Amino acid sequence: MIRSFKLGYCAITVLAVIGLMLTPAGTMAADKEIKIALTSDAVHVDPQQGNELTSNIMFNHFYDTLVRRTAALDFVPGLAESWELKDELTWVFKLRKGVKFHNGDELKASDVLFSIERCKTQLMSNLVRYIAEAKALDDYTVQIKTPQPYAVLHMDLSEFHILNEKYVKEVGDEQLNLKPMGTGPYQLVEWVKEDHMTLKAFDGYYLGPPEIKKVTFRPITNPATRTAALLTGEVDIIQDLAVRDADRIKSNDKLNLITRPSLLNIVLALDYREKSPTIDLPVNPMKDVRVREAIARAIDVDTIDRVIMNGLATPSDQYVPSSHIGYVDGLDFRQVYPFDLEKANALMKEAGYADGFTMTLDATNNRYVNDQQVAQALAGMLAKIGITVQLNLMPKSNFFGYIRVPSDKSSFIMSGWDTPSGDAGGMYNSMMYSRDKKKGYGQANRGAYASEEFDAWIDKADATPRVEERDKFLQEATKVAVRDIVLIPVHYEQDLYATKKNVDLKPRVDKFIWTYEIDIK
Amino acid sequence: MISYLIKRVFQMVGVLWVVSIIVFTMMSFTGDPTYMMVPLDATEDEIANARMLLGLDKSYIVQYGIFLSNILRGDFGRSFVFRQPAFGLIMERMPATVEMVLAAMALSLVLAIPLGVFAGAYPQKKTSRGIMAGSLLGISLPNFWVGMMLIFILAVQFNLLPSSGRGDTVPVMGINLSIVTMDGFRHIIMPAVTLSFATLAMLLRITRAGMMEVMKQDFIKFARAKGATFKSVLFKHALKNALIPVVTIFGLQLGDLIGFATITEFIFAWPGMGKLLVDSIYMADRPVIVVYLMFVAFLFVVINFAVDIIYTLIDPRIKLR
Repeated sequence: MIRSFKLGYCAITVLAVIGLMLTPAGTMAADKEIKIALTSDAVHVDPQQGNELTSNIMFNHFYDTLVRRTAALDFVPGLAESWELKDELTWVFKLRKGVKFHNGDELKASDVLFSIERCKTQLMSNLVRYIAEAKALDDYTVQIKTPQPYAVLHMDLSEFHILNEKYVKEVGDEQLNLKPMGTGPYQLVEWVKEDHMTLKAFDGYYLGPPEIKKVTFRPITNPATRTAALLTGEVDIIQDLAVRDADRIKSNDKLNLITRPSLLNIVLALDYREKSPTIDLPVNPMKDVRVREAIARAIDVDTIDRVIMNGLATPSDQYVPSSHIGYVDGLDFRQVYPFDLEKANALMKEAGYADGFTMTLDATNNRYVNDQQVAQALAGMLAKIGITVQLNLMPKSNFFGYIRVPSDKSSFIMSGWDTPSGDAGGMYNSMMYSRDKKKGYGQANRGAYASEEFDAWIDKADATPRVEERDKFLQEATKVAVRDIVLIPVHYEQDLYATKKNVDLKPRVDKFIWTYEIDIK
Repeated sequence: MISYLIKRVFQMVGVLWVVSIIVFTMMSFTGDPTYMMVPLDATEDEIANARMLLGLDKSYIVQYGIFLSNILRGDFGRSFVFRQPAFGLIMERMPATVEMVLAAMALSLVLAIPLGVFAGAYPQKKTSRGIMAGSLLGISLPNFWVGMMLIFILAVQFNLLPSSGRGDTVPVMGINLSIVTMDGFRHIIMPAVTLSFATLAMLLRITRAGMMEVMKQDFIKFARAKGATFKSVLFKHALKNALIPVVTIFGLQLGDLIGFATITEFIFAWPGMGKLLVDSIYMADRPVIVVYLMFVAFLFVVINFAVDIIYTLIDPRIKLR
């Protein structure tokens, strides 16, 4: 009897303890704080070491740039309050006075020069590619010379973060990559790798103290777990909502679904060489513009986006979005070469390839949204005009080395190109300018497109320091590229976010979540 | 004992060396890591610069030579991706994994032994059949499904437990542990349960099989005949003789889970080291992969050593040689 009473007592105690453990802990705080689930942990917090998305998001919390890129991809004064062109090559940036680093130091021209010099020897040396020489005219004036006239230097500088000279020299490279210290709106409090990163507001921020005082970033790689964390209320915002969860979020009246087209354009590169590596014919059929047009017309992007992408992709009309320098108003690749199998087959016949041919498509299977399925769909579509497409799918760790110029194993490549710079020039220089003609040009021209006409427009664009002229020349280049079908643009992936109802998040075009622009009601 | 130890250490060095050769050879088939680190539009100069910074400008054999000679000096190399010491990256993530795995192993041991003894002693009972059917389920249900179901039911539907992460941690002897805080304990329940499923089922089945065999032997009958209680026969005489294979499997599972708890870590966003391995494979981050696999091999050697010693404690007839 006594024994059974004891047992019962124990059981009740155990149940009570479990109950205590299971009650969710609630917290009340006067200061606004927010929890954001990202797809991965930051790899770096030293802005000169790498550029994957999560790291980029962190850089903008801890550091600032001379020119600030707004959420809508406008370029406005940042640490530099103004800039002007002295001559074709010389830019003068006036620094804002009284900008404070987290340690209380004031931002001086010497910090800018130090950041530039240091970057030249780091992994991200491409950030200062267009800076030939930099010097300080006084404590608040920096003069930068470009190696050639370069109208969009200020736009490039919106990705270049300014370090504190004294601090970097004091702590060294390795510590800098663990303990960032800049002029940005937030300071790092704690970073437990792969678990969370806690940031607190820097009230001395030069644009005014941030609304949200505490931010916690949590890396949750599994998309379903990310959704679960939002549904349970553990986080306020999730990045990259899984497409299959979109309806569930939409139907929940406590949550918001936010979508916007990204800047990542999926494009197909066509081979222009005399003989193509994977095509067993004496002459590469794709040298004939009619064959290229047939391919373009055989691809039904709308169907791909509806069936494979669940409607969460935007067919791309050109190589860069409409916000960019080099975009031609009213020109739409899909209008010029609409989906038309009959016409496509006729073009193939006209070009002498009525029986078609066989080639290989190189694509990733873990880099872009549903990349493998898109590649399979492309193969199915091209089969209808007699082109047998063999798929060569590989993980990204192999892919980017494999397709690299001289790309002597590839005829037909699907890849993505991201242009957060707001300018088509970078993409055109790399992907379409003739190979081996000019240093720093054509290094990603995988199809070996070579056109005097196209190169001439790029040369002109890169010879003017005036943005309007550059825009005009790059637009001409766009027209040539669309006419010649250098690349076939497929679609822009869509960025998906889900938030609690009380969160005011306006997604940035460049995907860089910035807590300074977020508020909670 | 001493000669046994020395022999084991030599064996271990040999194993580690072979692992390093295998990984280096395998990694030569994956892409050039440089292209994972530089932007797509990088120029030849920028690529050359990156290659030099990463130490990839030398020939493959020379890279391997440098790797070996650095190891002899206690330097395990730096990650291409993180630009931090590879060994440090693993060590900083290890406590979380070990904590989760130990919790899972303890859970499975505590449940598997009594259930296995029961099922082995009374194989005809309905309860035993129920236990065996359940264990089949435990072996065949995939980890990620169990994990997602737990999250869906306990976190999303009933909001009883947090869905992911490690929660609050406090340092215990310099190592951050979550299981000792209330919040951390709530976080570890689901990952540990998920991870324990398969091991629990396996240990249970092996205990039962051993018990059934031992129970048929003469010394059990003799023990009963001399008047020992059934309970003491079960746990003192029979279990001890059925334990050797259980310990073997326990050791192997322990090493396996610590090294490759990747899926469970992935589902629960548990900040352990398994995810580091997968990320490194995706990014062709050779230094981390090499050191990781060498570390796991080391772990297996140590665990097997411990298992050998436990053998001698369970059965004094076994000698270390």
